[in-house]
Amino acid sequence: MTELPKALQEFKPNEASERTELQRRRDRWFRALCLAVGCSSIAILFLLLVSIAYQGSSSLNGTFLSASHDPENPARAGMYPSIVGSVILCTLCAIISLPIGVAAAVYLEEFQPKNRWLLRLHGLVQLNIANLAGVPSVVYGLLGLTLFVYMFQLFGKLEQNQVSGIDFWGVQRYYQFVTADDLAVIFVPMDESRESTLKIESVRPAFDTNFRPIELQVWDPATPQPTDPEVLGRTVRKGDVGALVEIYSWYYFRLPFGPSLLAAALTLSLVILPIIVIASQEALRAVPSSMREASAGMGATRWQTTQQVTLPAALPGVLTGAILAMGRAIGEAAPIFVVLGGNIAKRTGPEHLMDSCVTMPILIFAWADNPVEQYRQLAAAAIIVLVALLLVMNSMAIYLRGRS
Amino acid sequence: MNRGLPIPSALEQKRYRPTGSARRSERVVVALLMACALGTIALSVLIVLMLLRESWSFFSSPNVSLTQFLFGTRWTALEVRDLEKVEFGIWPLLSGTLRVTGIAMLIAWPMGLITAIYLSEFASNRVRKILKPSLEILAGIPTVVFGYFAVLLISPGLQWISPSFDTFNATSAGIAVGILCLPLVCSLAEDALSAVPTSLREAVYSLGGTRMNTALNVVLPSALSGVISAMLLAFSRALGETMVVALAAGTLATFTLDPRQQSQTMTGFIVEMLKSDLEYGTVQYYSLFGVALALFVITFVMTLLGQLIRRRYREVYQ
Repeated sequence: MTELPKALQEFKPNEASERTELQRRRDRWFRALCLAVGCSSIAILFLLLVSIAYQGSSSLNGTFLSASHDPENPARAGMYPSIVGSVILCTLCAIISLPIGVAAAVYLEEFQPKNRWLLRLHGLVQLNIANLAGVPSVVYGLLGLTLFVYMFQLFGKLEQNQVSGIDFWGVQRYYQFVTADDLAVIFVPMDESRESTLKIESVRPAFDTNFRPIELQVWDPATPQPTDPEVLGRTVRKGDVGALVEIYSWYYFRLPFGPSLLAAALTLSLVILPIIVIASQEALRAVPSSMREASAGMGATRWQTTQQVTLPAALPGVLTGAILAMGRAIGEAAPIFVVLGGNIAKRTGPEHLMDSCVTMPILIFAWADNPVEQYRQLAAAAIIVLVALLLVMNSMAIYLRGRS
Repeated sequence: MNRGLPIPSALEQKRYRPTGSARRSERVVVALLMACALGTIALSVLIVLMLLRESWSFFSSPNVSLTQFLFGTRWTALEVRDLEKVEFGIWPLLSGTLRVTGIAMLIAWPMGLITAIYLSEFASNRVRKILKPSLEILAGIPTVVFGYFAVLLISPGLQWISPSFDTFNATSAGIAVGILCLPLVCSLAEDALSAVPTSLREAVYSLGGTRMNTALNVVLPSALSGVISAMLLAFSRALGETMVVALAAGTLATFTLDPRQQSQTMTGFIVEMLKSDLEYGTVQYYSLFGVALALFVITFVMTLLGQLIRRRYREVYQ
């Protein structure tokens, strides 16, 4: 042990060091406070998840995952249509907004103009994207409502059980009649009149339930009924009124979109577009400029550099941002509620682009809003499914980011 | 291209040379990318146009006056069906929004900021590596989950403490929104704090400062612009929060300061109106666009302010 220098041996704790002692104590308290608050804020969030898991786990079973909403019996209600709906909606969103978002980010990061005015425009776009990210999602919902659902009523109003709007492709319309022996149903294709019902007076082309063409017979009830059962099976009463039946293909397209899957997907894409742009920009910024310079030194144009060097290098980051944005899309309820309404009665997933659609957050909202206690428990169970899905997605994103 | 020097064999590969066709296709690609970037501006313009056009249908109605809308203290668009007697005064909805947001910020600002200080100044690397991702995961929890939390846990808890709380009240919604905004404040503020260079911290230590001195007297002031912008962004997020208030804040537009009462917010009203059986096209229905316009203007100003503060006052360190 070396001897202390003389000056330090004579060192006495003076006023200054007492203050230091006080400071140290304060420092310790402050640190404890920070630790306590930090831990408790995370503890609160975990408490939330645990309490919901506790409430919901009892209703989480096979029927719950495979059944649809049942307004009478909560024990038989399930969330299958909403899972399918959420996944399809989210996929459509990714298809729409990812290319646009990444392209905008590439333009903002890789193609900064030299012209002073264009540079100003560039700054404006940047500021604008930050602002778009702050616009409440319910406002996006209202945009979707006027722009996609009603289309400013330019194409007329959509009416229930009537031909309305403009159809482009993917729909066949028939009038439905019961045969004279009341055993089968036949379909008469709609003609140019576009009426919502048809009163049958004369023979028309017709199809049976398997949509095979048949020879229609019209029987006037004043005359004796045909006796041959084969003929009866393709005979309708004269003067019967047939109701409209519409058969859609998955690519059915019409204007305006109405409260449909496509309108919801477009609206949701707008919501997550700024998130994707910002995340992709960050990923592109993280690529070292030496790589770009090397590529330019090899004689590549800027787009060639972007396409072959920068984008592949930034891909993990872009994917991370994309997954986080998808997570946002799957959990977002307000814009979908505005566009599709709160109807959760649908028994299947969406079957065509213009079909209505139930998503998990809407279902949770409707159940949590329901005064019946059992439905609230179902809401907790649905939350478990939704949060589990989100946890998987987000962990994947964080893992991807760790690798990049 | 062959002017004097021969091309090195590495560059013989044609795709690494800006050929005429590459230059031409480059121009097309850049135009496409630019169109996507400008599309975001078009989106903002569309939002503003839509709000103005639809709320014009509301403000131009003879039963609505702008003065009443801006200063009125009664909002009865949902309760009164007779158009002659409906009152459209934004203040009950605005005060409801501000009550919920105020309570939320009382929770989110201090807790988020202190958690951020802990994460950036005190936490060891190992702790940070666990806490930061878990905060990010929690930030991704859908808002409707917090709404459920407010209705089924916070509200009964409050009623257990004091029976004077309504079943649906501003406090439970505010607490839920606050918890929801916490990860946002925390991660944005932490970004700002950890962007302060280590050399500044080391300078404080060399002067004999404690960690608390470092955090409060040096790091926080240096990162103030980022911290304030984080707070403003959380504020505007809380203003626009919809599902929590639709579930937990109640459906009665009240003009009061009492946080125990029901309080319909602007977003809550929009949801309630869409749920009601009022038809698209009636004045009451269009009133939701008037409310949405007010909401948009307030959040837009907040976000813009946050962005400008962050840009203008950001201290840049080498």
